[in-house]
Amino acid sequence: MSYLHAPRLVFTGDFLSDVSTVNNDTAHYNNATFQPNFQEPGQGATNGWWNPEGGAVFDFQNCSVRQLFLPDGSTQTSQSEDIIIGQAVVGAEGRPTGKMVDLDPDAQMYSALWCVQLRICDAKGNLLFKGDINTTSFRDIQMRQTDGGKSNGQPLGATWTSVITNVEWGKVAEQSAFLKTLRATTQSNTLAINMNPFGYYYNHNDGRFSLGRIIGSIGPYFEGEPLTFAPARRLYGINYTPSARGTYFSTSNFLVEPDSKRVSVDFGSSFPVADSIGTISYKQDLRLAVSKVPQTGVASRQTPTFYISPNDFTEIGALDYQSDPNWLNQTGGIVSFNDLPDATISALDNNQLILVTPSTSLPGQYAIIAREAIDGLVARADNFILRLDYGQSVDVDFYTYQWGKPLANTGITATLQPPTPDTPVGPQNPISELYGNNFPVDGLSFNGQVSSNPQGKAQIRLTGNAIYSPRVYIDGQIYSIDYQTANTDPAFGPEQVVVHLRDYFEEIANPVWDDISEMMIQYSNLYPIMSKYVVNLADPLALAEKKNILIFAFSRGMNDTMHMPVTRDLSTAKRNTILNWLNNPQVAPKPVVRAEARETKAVNPVAPGTPLTDRQTRYREAVKAKNGSFPGFSASDDLFENL
Amino acid sequence: MLQIDSKYIEKALTANALEELYPLLQKAVELEHSTIPPYLTAMFSLKPGTNLVQRQIIHSIVIEEMLHMTIAANILNALGGKPAIDNSHFVPEYPGPLPMGIGNGLIVGLEKYSTDVVKNVFMEIEEPENPLVFKSVSLAALPTFSTIGQFYQAIQKKIDELAPHDLPGDKSKQVTSSFFPADELFPIYTKQNAIDAINIIIEQGEGTSTSPLDQEDELAHYYRFEELYKGKRLVKNDAAPNGYSFSGPDIPYTPEDVFPLFPNTKTSMLPAGGEELNRMNEFNTSYYSLLSGLHATFNGQPENLDNTVGVMYDLKLTAQKLCATPFPGKPGYTIGPSFEFIVPAGS
Repeated sequence: MSYLHAPRLVFTGDFLSDVSTVNNDTAHYNNATFQPNFQEPGQGATNGWWNPEGGAVFDFQNCSVRQLFLPDGSTQTSQSEDIIIGQAVVGAEGRPTGKMVDLDPDAQMYSALWCVQLRICDAKGNLLFKGDINTTSFRDIQMRQTDGGKSNGQPLGATWTSVITNVEWGKVAEQSAFLKTLRATTQSNTLAINMNPFGYYYNHNDGRFSLGRIIGSIGPYFEGEPLTFAPARRLYGINYTPSARGTYFSTSNFLVEPDSKRVSVDFGSSFPVADSIGTISYKQDLRLAVSKVPQTGVASRQTPTFYISPNDFTEIGALDYQSDPNWLNQTGGIVSFNDLPDATISALDNNQLILVTPSTSLPGQYAIIAREAIDGLVARADNFILRLDYGQSVDVDFYTYQWGKPLANTGITATLQPPTPDTPVGPQNPISELYGNNFPVDGLSFNGQVSSNPQGKAQIRLTGNAIYSPRVYIDGQIYSIDYQTANTDPAFGPEQVVVHLRDYFEEIANPVWDDISEMMIQYSNLYPIMSKYVVNLADPLALAEKKNILIFAFSRGMNDTMHMPVTRDLSTAKRNTILNWLNNPQVAPKPVVRAEARETKAVNPVAPGTPLTDRQTRYREAVKAKNGSFPGFSASDDLFENL
Repeated sequence: MLQIDSKYIEKALTANALEELYPLLQKAVELEHSTIPPYLTAMFSLKPGTNLVQRQIIHSIVIEEMLHMTIAANILNALGGKPAIDNSHFVPEYPGPLPMGIGNGLIVGLEKYSTDVVKNVFMEIEEPENPLVFKSVSLAALPTFSTIGQFYQAIQKKIDELAPHDLPGDKSKQVTSSFFPADELFPIYTKQNAIDAINIIIEQGEGTSTSPLDQEDELAHYYRFEELYKGKRLVKNDAAPNGYSFSGPDIPYTPEDVFPLFPNTKTSMLPAGGEELNRMNEFNTSYYSLLSGLHATFNGQPENLDNTVGVMYDLKLTAQKLCATPFPGKPGYTIGPSFEFIVPAGS
């Protein structure tokens, strides 16, 4: 079961993400070279990017339930059919909003939601249901806006998949047939949720600064399933669009339900949109089909398009989206075809789904926009973003599927990416030396070869070892571990498990200011909203004066809504040391010279200038794109028209 | 001298049953809350990192108003009543009078910090029954008027008269917090607890009749504001009448370090479709979230108080960003937090 299963609801609206951006620049972590102008808005290395005073707030805005999909394949769109339709989808009330934060400046592509509550009430404010969205990070970042994101500044979109726990059903939920069915279908009083954010505004345009569009769907959850991705089949884009420097329709989940002879494809994460609010303006003839022959094409600049003859596929149907520019916002982009012929359903047992469009350059042929994973194979890590202290271990859960079913006895290989080189100060890197990632290589221990069990599951245990400030001025190290099965599809490539391993640090029972000043000054530099409006984190006397509220915030668990977001960067030992200081603030300098752990600092095994791997290069470019500093995406005016 | 509509004191003094005190204590909760938006607006208008004493003094008073609001709600719960906080009647319209006709026409608005506002509004709100003579305002008023302090004393008297030793309210609804000393915020189980708690409200607000200090040896609100007005610390001075004089250190004040908030900014003044309006809506959504969180806190979920502290930070940060935001179409002004009761869609 998943957000694609029935019964499901679709909601659409905006999200507010007041993320802070001084910390988007790794060099800004160096206290020794920090300058006050790094806290000012503006592009380039010597400023604080687009929202230096961000407070990490994430919240739903203007979101409402647009439609319901029922087990019999029917759709409801009017409040007269079910009271939940049209109701607002909102965040927490009476407790702080959710927060959105990155893992690390060297791991910015996995922005995570923390402590987000989701509530839906009826028109009178009576609760229908509410629950907590489990922490989840971006996946499947892809190109969305064919206008290149001119107005908002960010043409990419992403996906958050998670589960809603602590679900509380209101009394009036009984009046919604949909909710009664959902409640009866789902397990563990947990729900599956998927959200596709895009159209985010870096720019102060359209009255939408720091807003983006979000399209969500909520469906039933079943025990034993992954928590951060849907146990679904996947379509990968294989049509290269030069203006996007990649593909549209990059990744889309889909579900085949043989019992109800149904295929449901979620284009909510991938459908190209004309603007930041999800308007659909192009009218390409797009059709879903089952390929009779294996498709292995991979988009590239050299081979931008792959073609297929209509004899080689069985058409399922055309996407009916052209008549309504608001189609995506209304439907969530989830397309269901019901009552398919038995032959089509059985063909999907072991053949790839494809998305095609009639070719203009090769009349009679069809261009393939997207195809299912080769051999229908999907293998993904569930808890793929990790924070680890010295001596801690964590089991990473992997799930493998073929044609949507759990796949046993499949080998998964996990490999630490090679170290990336340090970058000395120079014209392209004016502030501070940047240190590489993925070293020391013995920072993490794990068995990189596992095989899935009969349920298609496998686990790799990661253990954090002692590392000693390999990045000098940033705590710990980022390790990216590529994982793949023997037949990883190059159209999607290996995914990563990304670990922030914290520096070895021994808790100091009776610290003086010198013991924590570097950490606190760094926070003060990186989060001007704190120092400006709450307490100057670099000033021990100011901290001592506000110690009660700081102890309150610093001592909360990481999943507590009151947790101070930035302290998720800290090891338990460092956090406890700060707490120890707050409990007994000693401002005087330390009488003895501190034993510097940095004496044994790990040396980067690769020399500056060592080329990055292709994947590492793509990551760097993606970070630039995410931060709006990519040289620019141009508009795609004639998407798929001249294939 | 700050007046209260005498009918409220009359009602307190003529009550024949604890239930008749419920609406009065509800009004007390409303009154304590009603001073917080004006004080906070003035505090948020101080540019970050400047006018630190002004910020510190107003902050200390706001914290005590929060304490008083909590105490009043605890007493109401202790008597068996139900504080009502998440409704439109709870929030005053600014500018306008405070609850219970306080101040005989004193109009309280949401304005930037100025010594005028401190003197003409804040000191008026907090004025004691008999301000001590080192105070510079003339004492023309007559004793026929009643003060907030007298209102509380009337309630106190009636509780003493009517209540049993063990108060009838559900003990599990009492709210306490690690943010307040246990001798200032304590659960109200007995009649004596209630009487002691009311004394804290009166003395923190007004001082005692013989000293500007309250039981904790801190200056009462009135005198703290007077320090800001005079720009001088009030210190012990044995040579002065009443033993205190404004002869302490100067309190520096730089008026140019105050954001020029447009007085009594309303949501409706902001252009539709602008990000300023979004930010204001965000602020009022936080304000609603806070009130609803406090309502839950005072109606059986005392543990939720900690969560509301988090919401207060959300609210504060949004407000301070608003104060620094130029007001579209009003050159020379920035946007004040409107503190409007707006139920967000979906609540």
